[in-house]
Amino acid sequence: MKILVTLKRVVDYNVRVRVKSDGSGVETDGVKMSINPFDEIALEEALRIKERGDAEEVVVASIGAADVQQQLRTGLAMGADRALHVETESAPQPLTAARILLKLVEREEPGIVFLGKQAIDDDCNQTGQMLAALWDRPQATFASKVELSDGKASVTREVDAGLETIQVDLPAVLTSDLRLNEPRFVKLPEIMKAKRKPLDIIALDELGIEDAVDHQISDFQPPPKRAGGKILESAGELVDELKNKGLL
Amino acid sequence: MEERIDTLPRLPVSTDTGDLEHYGRDWTRFWKPAPCGVVFPESTDDVAELVGWARKTKTPLVPSGGRTGLSGGAVASRNELVVSLERMRSLVELDEADASITVQAGMTIGEVQRRAVDAGFCYPVDWAAAESSQAGGSIATNAGGIRVLRYGMTRDWVRGLEVVTGAGEVLELNRGLIKNNAGYDLRQLFIGSEGTLGFITRATFGLAPPPVQQSVLLLGFADLEAIMPAFALLRRQLSLSAFEFFDQASLEHVATHTGQSSPIETECPFYAVVEFDDPDGSAQERALEVFEGAVEEGWVTDGIISQSESQVQELWQWREAISEAIAVHTPYKNDLSVRISRVPTFLAELDRLVEAKYPEFQVVWFGHIGDGNLHMNVLKPESWSVEDFHTACNGLSEQVFELVRKHEGSLSAEHGVGLLKRDHLAMCRSESEIELMRRIKQAFDPDNLINPGKILP
Ligand SMILES: Cc1cc2nc3c(=O)[nH]c(=O)nc-3n(C[C@H](O)[C@H](O)[C@H](O)COP(=O)(O)OP(=O)(O)OC[C@H]3O[C@@H](n4cnc5c(N)ncnc54)[C@H](O)[C@@H]3O)c2cc1C
Repeated sequence: MKILVTLKRVVDYNVRVRVKSDGSGVETDGVKMSINPFDEIALEEALRIKERGDAEEVVVASIGAADVQQQLRTGLAMGADRALHVETESAPQPLTAARILLKLVEREEPGIVFLGKQAIDDDCNQTGQMLAALWDRPQATFASKVELSDGKASVTREVDAGLETIQVDLPAVLTSDLRLNEPRFVKLPEIMKAKRKPLDIIALDELGIEDAVDHQISDFQPPPKRAGGKILESAGELVDELKNKGLL
Repeated sequence: MEERIDTLPRLPVSTDTGDLEHYGRDWTRFWKPAPCGVVFPESTDDVAELVGWARKTKTPLVPSGGRTGLSGGAVASRNELVVSLERMRSLVELDEADASITVQAGMTIGEVQRRAVDAGFCYPVDWAAAESSQAGGSIATNAGGIRVLRYGMTRDWVRGLEVVTGAGEVLELNRGLIKNNAGYDLRQLFIGSEGTLGFITRATFGLAPPPVQQSVLLLGFADLEAIMPAFALLRRQLSLSAFEFFDQASLEHVATHTGQSSPIETECPFYAVVEFDDPDGSAQERALEVFEGAVEEGWVTDGIISQSESQVQELWQWREAISEAIAVHTPYKNDLSVRISRVPTFLAELDRLVEAKYPEFQVVWFGHIGDGNLHMNVLKPESWSVEDFHTACNGLSEQVFELVRKHEGSLSAEHGVGLLKRDHLAMCRSESEIELMRRIKQAFDPDNLINPGKILP
């Protein structure tokens, strides 16, 4: 079996995001970019599945400009076997991304497509679900545990009420939640090996897609500044304050 | 004493047993805390008034910061009155044109760092206890930490001090100037004075521009001899901001303490956390070449590299958590330094000495080896009493210090002398130097009331 894992390049989780002064987007110049953390978890799980002997190949894929190859190389250094770079200068929304991924799925015919439950830049939480619908295959999202047997995946999901375990027939779409695993570090010798692993660059028209421009950003705004807190001396003062504000 | 405390002017005081123990000691555990009380001044005037009162009543005072000191400097075991600066923690001024921050002495260094970042700067002196250590305490110990390699010690960032001397005078030292050659720079005497000359009540620190993106390597070394040549190679090829080493025992203690498993596959006798400028990810390429070179030389056997900010922080944890992880074993700390060029021979001889002399104790090694600074931690076997253990370590230290003397090093690189190294001071300072120190102490603290019995034998 083959596992296809998606890796999105995003502003690092620990970087304080700033809006560009002209409101055209988020500042990325000189800002640390990393693999979307949920995608990194998905890749770790795929690698563990392969190491257990339940898969033969792990392929990582990313959609974007040339710089996403940095994240693909990291994926290869973590242990993926091959990388696919779908080249586009635009940043497609989930539906377009799912359409592009479907084309890759048709080419690669993986048993599992593993995505992060969401990307931390837009927090959409849609691409995996949309891909499953387009592909017309089962989905198991928010996975915190994955077990494979007899062409089925038993997936424990993190849902509002707690944990739910479902079984899906493969091929299927899986998306990872935070507690699924802790991704490994990249070993330096593996970076060297990763350089020799294949990284295919695929143009959109090769996939039969005309362009990936599906939206236009008219303005970016940082969230409004929160007013500072106020320390009161007594409960009485608090009651007065709330009354004054008409909250009580 | 009780009545005397009653005569203290309107300041918050505690004589609660729990407080006496809490405020009567630092991170060391070799002396029983026994202060007569703890007082919490709220302003420079309060401190000056306190010193005046202490002179009248002949009450010895112990200046007390975050009590993270590792040499017993803030220990009050002889009925002293502890003066805690923790209520004096306000920001006085952050000046963007001067690139400086002025704070009351009780603000924690963690808070100073955050204020700097919020204003688009960075206060670059950093170490594992920064969240608790105070501006005043860090200046009084001239704290170093993990980025001395690039940024120097606390001393390099202190632009001005307000102090209250042991004579009760309030002095403004250097007033934030960058250049000031008008006479002796008394500010420098207070830096590293361990509270023996008076109280630091306010400090002005210079601020650095924010650092560019950093990447971190965790390297595993083949043996002790490999570390310094590998350091020299890395230093030539990368723009290093830190090179911190530790041994396998350190790694195991951290693993036990945090419940995590080793991030690196190959077990090595020594490791180093190496941090370097990597503004656009392109320095990783160079790091890789250096790594290949070091592997070829047989110095380095394994290594990992951070791919995200979270990984930078995770890798740092393996170095930063060591002190905390071994604290349960009442470590006896030796904080040694020699010139970088002497490190390899010094290390080799020290290693042999320790093997021969400390057979029954576990010794944990880590430190700022890029600065020629080594922390040698002897752990107390559970069956030993603290007193016996301390005496044994003190005896063994003589021979370690002999070696330090031979290599013209220091027996306290950054932790200070306090009580822990007081009786050994003569091993690295001449008699005339110590006599001059005494006279300086006398000039600032004529009645010997401010932290008496610390530093000077
Ligand atoms: C986990 C851990 C890691 C550490 N790592 C490092 C490291 O890497 N590098 C390093 O250099 N140190 C390190 N230290 C040591 C320690 O953090 C420093 O010595 C620190 O600077 C002390 O600050 P403090 O506020 O806690 O001072 P305290 O411990 O309260 O006092 C230290 C000395 O300063 C005096 N003092 C305190 N406040 C004042 C004041 N306002 N005026 C005059 N005198 C005063 C005290 O009397 C005492 O002699 C570490 C400590 C811990 C616990």
